[in-house]
Amino acid sequence: MKKAVLLTVVVVALLWTEGCRKRPSDSESRDLQKPKVIGVSLLNLQHEFYQDLREGMRKGAKKYGYELKILSADFNPAIQANHIRDFIVQKVDAVIICPCDSKTVGTSIEQANNAGIPVFTSDIRNDSPQGKVIAHVASDNYQGGVLAAELMNEALNGKGNVALITSPGVESCTERIRGFKDKIKDYPEIKIVEELSAEGQRDKALDVARDILTKHPELDGIFGINDDSALGALAAVEAAGKAGRIKIVGYDATQEARRRIRDGKIYADVVQYPKLMGEKTLDIVHRYFAFKAIPREEIEHFLEGEQLNIPVRGGTWRGNSE
Amino acid sequence: MKLRKLVETYSLWAFLVALILVLAFRTDFDFVQPQNAANIISQMSVEMIIALGMTMVIITAGIDLSVGSLVALTGVLGTMALTVVAGLPLWLAFLIAIFASVLVGFACGSFSGFVITRFGIPPFVATLAMMFVCRGLAFIVCRERPVEIPYEYEQLKFLGMGILGKNLFGVEWFPGIPLSGIIMLAGIVFFHVLLSGTVFGRQIYAVGGNEEASRLSGINVKKIKFFVYAITGGLCGLSGIIQAATLGSGDPKSGDKWELQVIAAVVVGGTSLFGGRGTIIGTFVGVLLIRVLAVGVNFLGFTRFWQYVVLGSVLLLAVLLDTVSKKIRS
Repeated sequence: MKKAVLLTVVVVALLWTEGCRKRPSDSESRDLQKPKVIGVSLLNLQHEFYQDLREGMRKGAKKYGYELKILSADFNPAIQANHIRDFIVQKVDAVIICPCDSKTVGTSIEQANNAGIPVFTSDIRNDSPQGKVIAHVASDNYQGGVLAAELMNEALNGKGNVALITSPGVESCTERIRGFKDKIKDYPEIKIVEELSAEGQRDKALDVARDILTKHPELDGIFGINDDSALGALAAVEAAGKAGRIKIVGYDATQEARRRIRDGKIYADVVQYPKLMGEKTLDIVHRYFAFKAIPREEIEHFLEGEQLNIPVRGGTWRGNSE
Repeated sequence: MKLRKLVETYSLWAFLVALILVLAFRTDFDFVQPQNAANIISQMSVEMIIALGMTMVIITAGIDLSVGSLVALTGVLGTMALTVVAGLPLWLAFLIAIFASVLVGFACGSFSGFVITRFGIPPFVATLAMMFVCRGLAFIVCRERPVEIPYEYEQLKFLGMGILGKNLFGVEWFPGIPLSGIIMLAGIVFFHVLLSGTVFGRQIYAVGGNEEASRLSGINVKKIKFFVYAITGGLCGLSGIIQAATLGSGDPKSGDKWELQVIAAVVVGGTSLFGGRGTIIGTFVGVLLIRVLAVGVNFLGFTRFWQYVVLGSVLLLAVLLDTVSKKIRS
């Protein structure tokens, strides 16, 4: 009983201070010219890619003086739906979503639409017919897959057996695989012998790659749909004593992967620019706030982007308006 | 009567053998080549090392949900220790890294054990709390990024590399049984003897069978319980550094949901969640069975998610078999 009373007091006190800090009455907030608040729900914050995306968004928000509320949905569409509901209750000025599930996210987007909150998506697209998205800012993952296939062709001199480490269920990753497979058709002597999921996680990729290496001793190349997959594959290849003989192509070009590329352990990566992507998303949100619209077509390419002294190739990247 | 006991003891083995045979026929005997044996051993070793401790915990009618997070935390801290001691000779640095992660694991396990025995908090809750805390800490200490093993210490990878039997009996056991596999085998022997041949081992069974009776007969129940959690923590540390060494970096994401996989393996291996019954050998078969299933699904080229369906079914079947045979007995 005592405990319950104490707990209630603490909770009420917390809510009270929280309320005092964050919720002045509506008129007051307008008077003070409160900075615009943007709610962001990211797929996760465990992968370096999304950490960089967050960094870019923060940079962009700082530029325009916006306040960001960045949440991680930990791959869970249900958590993400709750994020959007919370944002609606908090009356944020805009919502940026990096969907956990391209299909079901539409319902949440529609709810935000009904509350009059503009919605933007980043990195992963809304694939459902429901919900209206102002703009989608993302790498062109299909084109990235095509680039990866070109890199693989280059690595293998146009001939060999290739395995793919995939992550089905994530739209951006399936796009990469689609691009890769479409392009690989142009190289008749390269054969895809295996395609297995490691859910984009490094320790699972290690086990999957071990299986692939055992099953296909004649393997020449592995394409990992993200760097965790590629680095897991590298660990398996090294443990099998086949380092250098099996060419690995990764995706994202994280710091760790770049170092491995410099060492010659990974052949090359398709590079993404998550920081730039995050910043660009905020640019577009800003333009929307300023003009209540954004220019019809806004496509930018960053081919052959960052030139380190390693064969990190440029991925394409675009922010298009819908 | 005798027949039933026979069925109980060897049904799991029979199932395993049947499964391997089916897989062998379906893959043109690719599945039973020596390379794949080495492959399966290197994959299962990290899980098996944890399962050694988990078996003891479950025999005392407890549970440890923190093992997956501990693998991540100890792996990260072990590799961080390597970056700190840069400059020391290889062997010393390795010893420090291995010692550091085992120690961290042991400390975390001890804390769980302390909370459980001192305050009587249910193991499920205490280790669930530990699971969250350690997972969070793993990300915090490395600032959310995996910690790479420094160049000068890259040879630490020998922990996961094939060394034994690369060319045994004229067969190339490519890529060879890794050191982690040998550590696993040593662990199996050690803990098997500990459980079946020592006073400490028999006390573990006694505590799980009837806690009150054990206390009355003079067994220090709290001490036994404390040590099974502490030892499990230490084993997680060992597994964590092996995993980090194999991956080339301490990854705060690793060990995801391992607690559930390990518990499943232990239960499939015949250890009773109500305590008092279970063996290390049974656990070994359980871990092996689950790994064979996983690799088999990959060999057949099925989608990964079949693995979960089959694993769930096998788990249910194993427990059903256990419950039904218990009912018949009583």
